[in-house]
Amino acid sequence: MTTVSRPILDRGRAYEDKQESQLLVVLRRFRRHKLAVISTILILFIFGVSLLAPLLAPFGRDAIDLTSPVRPAPPGTHDMAGQIHLLGIDQLGRDLFTRLLYAARVSMSIAILVVLISETFGMLLGAVAGYFGGIVDTIISRVIEFMLTIPTLPILLIISAILLRRDVVIPLPGFINRLLSGLLLAPEREAQKVVVLVLILVVFGWLGAARLMRGMALSLSKQDFVEALRAAGASDARIIFRHIIPNGLAPILVDASLALGGVIVTESALSFLGLGVQDPTPTWGNMLSTSQSYMFQHPWLPLVPGIPLVIVSIGFNFIGDGLRDALDPRLKR
Amino acid sequence: MTNYLIRRIIQMFFVIMLAALFTYFLFTVSPGGPLAGIQQQQRRITREDLARLRANYELDLYWPIRFSRWLIGVPSGPIVIGGRELFADTPVGCYLPRDRQVVIQDGQQVVIPAGCDDYVYLSEIPKLHPAVKSSRGILRGDFGLSTVVRAGRPVWDEIMSRLPATLELMIISTLLSFLLGIPIGIYSAIKQYSRFDYTFTTISFIGSAMPTFFFGLLLILLFTVFPSMLQNTFPWLPHLPPGSRLAVRPYEVAPWLPRVTPGTALDHFLHLLMPVGVLTFFYMATWSRFVRSSMLEVLRQDYVRTARAKGLYERVVIVKHALRNALIPFVTVAVLTIPGFFAGAIITETVFAWPGMGRLYYDALTRSDWPIALAFIFVTALLTVIATLLGDVLYTIVDPRIKYS
Repeated sequence: MTTVSRPILDRGRAYEDKQESQLLVVLRRFRRHKLAVISTILILFIFGVSLLAPLLAPFGRDAIDLTSPVRPAPPGTHDMAGQIHLLGIDQLGRDLFTRLLYAARVSMSIAILVVLISETFGMLLGAVAGYFGGIVDTIISRVIEFMLTIPTLPILLIISAILLRRDVVIPLPGFINRLLSGLLLAPEREAQKVVVLVLILVVFGWLGAARLMRGMALSLSKQDFVEALRAAGASDARIIFRHIIPNGLAPILVDASLALGGVIVTESALSFLGLGVQDPTPTWGNMLSTSQSYMFQHPWLPLVPGIPLVIVSIGFNFIGDGLRDALDPRLKR
Repeated sequence: MTNYLIRRIIQMFFVIMLAALFTYFLFTVSPGGPLAGIQQQQRRITREDLARLRANYELDLYWPIRFSRWLIGVPSGPIVIGGRELFADTPVGCYLPRDRQVVIQDGQQVVIPAGCDDYVYLSEIPKLHPAVKSSRGILRGDFGLSTVVRAGRPVWDEIMSRLPATLELMIISTLLSFLLGIPIGIYSAIKQYSRFDYTFTTISFIGSAMPTFFFGLLLILLFTVFPSMLQNTFPWLPHLPPGSRLAVRPYEVAPWLPRVTPGTALDHFLHLLMPVGVLTFFYMATWSRFVRSSMLEVLRQDYVRTARAKGLYERVVIVKHALRNALIPFVTVAVLTIPGFFAGAIITETVFAWPGMGRLYYDALTRSDWPIALAFIFVTALLTVIATLLGDVLYTIVDPRIKYS
């Protein structure tokens, strides 16, 4: 090694020359998965468009075009003022393109919120279970095993049938509703119902992350460096947050990206069955659900929400696959 | 092994009980239920009428009592020992609950329970809930009576009338997905990174990520809506029936096919095509990925290299040595499809209006027919637990290296 004799300023660059940073290695390997890269671009596009929804949308979210003689009307119909309905209007006369943008916002927000909350929760619980072992581990593992034996979709349907179809208001601090209503650009009354859906999805969403993290924590906590940390006097919290969790993050990232796709599909499935997000709030799922009744006369209707839904769902899966390849050191080529 | 089995079965029992309690509790704490909104619909309903209706759904009993009656059929009256009635005057429910209207902060009125005007005592159960109308308990094979979907009919009859449709759909699509998925998985593993492998891994990726309800709608568009729209230009295009299991009237599929009479094998077949297609595509994707990865795992092992080194034909190496071991995990996971044969596919059945179990459950849920929904969940959970145990036991049979103690 000659670095010692080099001037200090050069040292950083010399280091970079020899060895890329971890992030760059991951990025370089991720780029090899072409479908994952394409998916990332498409999803970022949809995400960006959904962020800019109020700016891009030509009409109001619930504005009804009464001038149209037929409803639903095909893409390219004009309203009285000469403004074009890019994707047509739905059975009530609302502009589909506008609703699609807002729906993207709702579906994406729900997915991101659910995945963020449930992965964090699962990660913490898994790390605690794997690190401490013993009775803590037994209890958490049993709970996970039990939750895995319950058929998820039927239970999800029950809970949402119960909570969403009646006017149940879960008492929550006001800022959560305000935050969500800002995120979804929907009135607080609608946001309250979405909060319920998010909570339901979180209840079943944390299992995967918890199992993954538990496994990682179990093997990590037996390694010498953890022993050394303990000897050096590090507290349990410090070991878990600074060492166990960062070391087990890679599979969680992969899981999170797959879960994003999964949550979007589950949410749309619930909304499609009429047990998820309810009508004035648009999501891809409930747009599909209403389009089902009109598809025989207006076959483009299910395609409008369906195509972005499929792109996002498949896209997140490809990204997860790409991340797995990029993060798994055993596949280093 | 025997010890292990006994332990597992005891565990199983507790899991089932917990699951039953959990689902029952869910339905109980739920606001609404079969009587939701009845006061808004019928303003002149008296308290006594409401109490009678509540008693009709056994809602007058406290929920632990109701749960126990649903599960094992007791208590059905006071316990009689030696001619003496025990606990006869223990309150087990409330026939006439007293409500109080409370105004919460933003002016909304909420009704909260505030005591009881007429308790139900244990001795009154035989009178209020005669044995004819109440269930002998789900554990004794009595699923009770349906309340809404087929009001008054036994749940079991309804399940039995729906089960054939679900079995037909699920068995056909599961078998087809095995037949297609396993060979594809094996071949992609053997030719890893080949064009075949890339194509089919991508397809199976899409298959497992594609939402089934959209795929279903897409198929209806492609095979029903578009062909009937293009009928004037391309009259030879066949269009499939979009939903249901059997037709009511004779119908035409394509000019080059005879008119289909309802109930014939052709009618069955045409109705099956699309739902089976959706499910097969979805399951096939899962299975081919599973088989591919376990095959790849095995092919990397030393004994496969040894077999090749011995100079065996590649075919022998793959079929006799690698494949057998690769299918071990497959067998144990394949067993887990069993609960699906009962539960059906809720989403696909709803899209195609398939009169199976999944749709029955969906109807029961949306129309608050709790006995049907509970029976569905209970049997599904039971089958899931049994299938899991079966999978673990099969594992020791197909792989003697694994021993449970």
